[in-house]
Amino acid sequence: MRNIWIIAKNTFKLEVREKILYAIIVFAILYMLSSLFLADLVLKELPMVKSFALAGVYFFNAILAIFLGTTSFFKDVDRKVVYFILAKPVSRAQFLLGKFFGLCMVLLVTTLIFMVAYLAVVAYEGGGFDAMGIAAIGMQYLEMMLFLSFALFVSTFSTSLLSIVYTSAVFFAGHVVSQLVADAQAINITGIKLRLVQALYYIFPNLEKFDIRNYAIHNIAAPLNSTLLAIAYAAVYIILLLSAGVWIFNKKEV
Amino acid sequence: MVEFLHVTKTFKKRKSAVHDFTLNVDVPIFGFLGQNGAGKTTIMKMTVGLLAPTHGEILIDGKPSTNIESKKKMGFMPETPYFYETMTGLEFLRFSDELFETTSGKEREYEDLLKKVGIFEARNFQIKTYSKGMRQRLAFAQALVNNPKYVFLDEPLDGLDPLGRREMKEVMVKLKEEGKKIFLNTHILYDVEEICDEVGVIHAGNLLYAGSVKGFAQGKSLEERFTETLMQYEHVHA
Repeated sequence: MRNIWIIAKNTFKLEVREKILYAIIVFAILYMLSSLFLADLVLKELPMVKSFALAGVYFFNAILAIFLGTTSFFKDVDRKVVYFILAKPVSRAQFLLGKFFGLCMVLLVTTLIFMVAYLAVVAYEGGGFDAMGIAAIGMQYLEMMLFLSFALFVSTFSTSLLSIVYTSAVFFAGHVVSQLVADAQAINITGIKLRLVQALYYIFPNLEKFDIRNYAIHNIAAPLNSTLLAIAYAAVYIILLLSAGVWIFNKKEV
Repeated sequence: MVEFLHVTKTFKKRKSAVHDFTLNVDVPIFGFLGQNGAGKTTIMKMTVGLLAPTHGEILIDGKPSTNIESKKKMGFMPETPYFYETMTGLEFLRFSDELFETTSGKEREYEDLLKKVGIFEARNFQIKTYSKGMRQRLAFAQALVNNPKYVFLDEPLDGLDPLGRREMKEVMVKLKEEGKKIFLNTHILYDVEEICDEVGVIHAGNLLYAGSVKGFAQGKSLEERFTETLMQYEHVHA
């Protein structure tokens, strides 16, 4: 456990020194501040402002998760910095998990920064303290952790560029797959085609489970059961992806 | 003692990089001599757990070299070291030590170590500003950070200027006096002649000689004997 923490701490320290991180944070804050002006011009109502700002939090965190997840681990292996680390009493599992938790810490900080910006925007627009907004951002963070674990898993056997492609594809598929099943059933697709759609549903993570933005926008409490289920779903998925990543990394010759 | 027991390493799409390698090393400084691609780095990477042998076993004091206890006794400096560029030399050394679970209040020791390898003045500079020689020195320092019994150095003198080479060799001799065992990969014959107690000659993954430097030289220059040995091998295996 100690080595996981050391590597996580070091990963965090290194990533927060990356200038690109600050560029993304600045863009995200500017995006959210722009909702203040757009509120007067286009968005008009508070739910529209909330929707716009929450989408910004999600979008910029997703960019960060994909960027961090696909580059951090890959760089260490590709540039052979792992030689120093794995020659010490550190297992490959500890290294991979350390990277994961370190990157989660970075995303936690950016999420908190975005959350403060979001709450400020909502409060300025007269929305008061938006507890459901915090819950929605919390669920987005969970989704980002899942992204990170997927990106790390892919990085154990792929290049950085391909990892970006795979992770982005899963990002897209994860959001359309549940709708795909619903559509298939609505238009009465049967047989192999339906099984294929169902297989896709089970292969790709269903990212829609984490989307409670609509509840936050309309200030309605999200159902507790489905929220808890989504948390458990993320935990299982993350554990499976990291375990698979460790398994592949253990077999990899660095 | 470091024991290599019938170690073979085969890579995909390539014939064996190391073939049935058996050797016991128990001298203060053991020089591992071979051309580029002879298999020296592969053997060292297997010893420190970066690669797994296809067959055979490597033992450190009777225990597998990859087990945690063995790794705590080892220091390793890779060939052409790469670092986290935005870290400072001191930060990297601290990070390296933390992975051994032995830290706390060791700042003074880190500074002494950096003085020993000659980069103390640059300790607070980011590694991206370091020259190749300074990187070699930092890599050397991190290999010693846990005060290891066994030090594995892969081409440690590459990239150093003559003065730097001299200093590093002096450090190795000092380590020898402290009772450490050094396993040195090199293709520079002069270094072997100067500081090694025993030498192993490897070619195409095969161990051709292991024993004293004098015994290998047989009154000739090391270069002459090395070339002769390799040519003999090539002639027999042609």
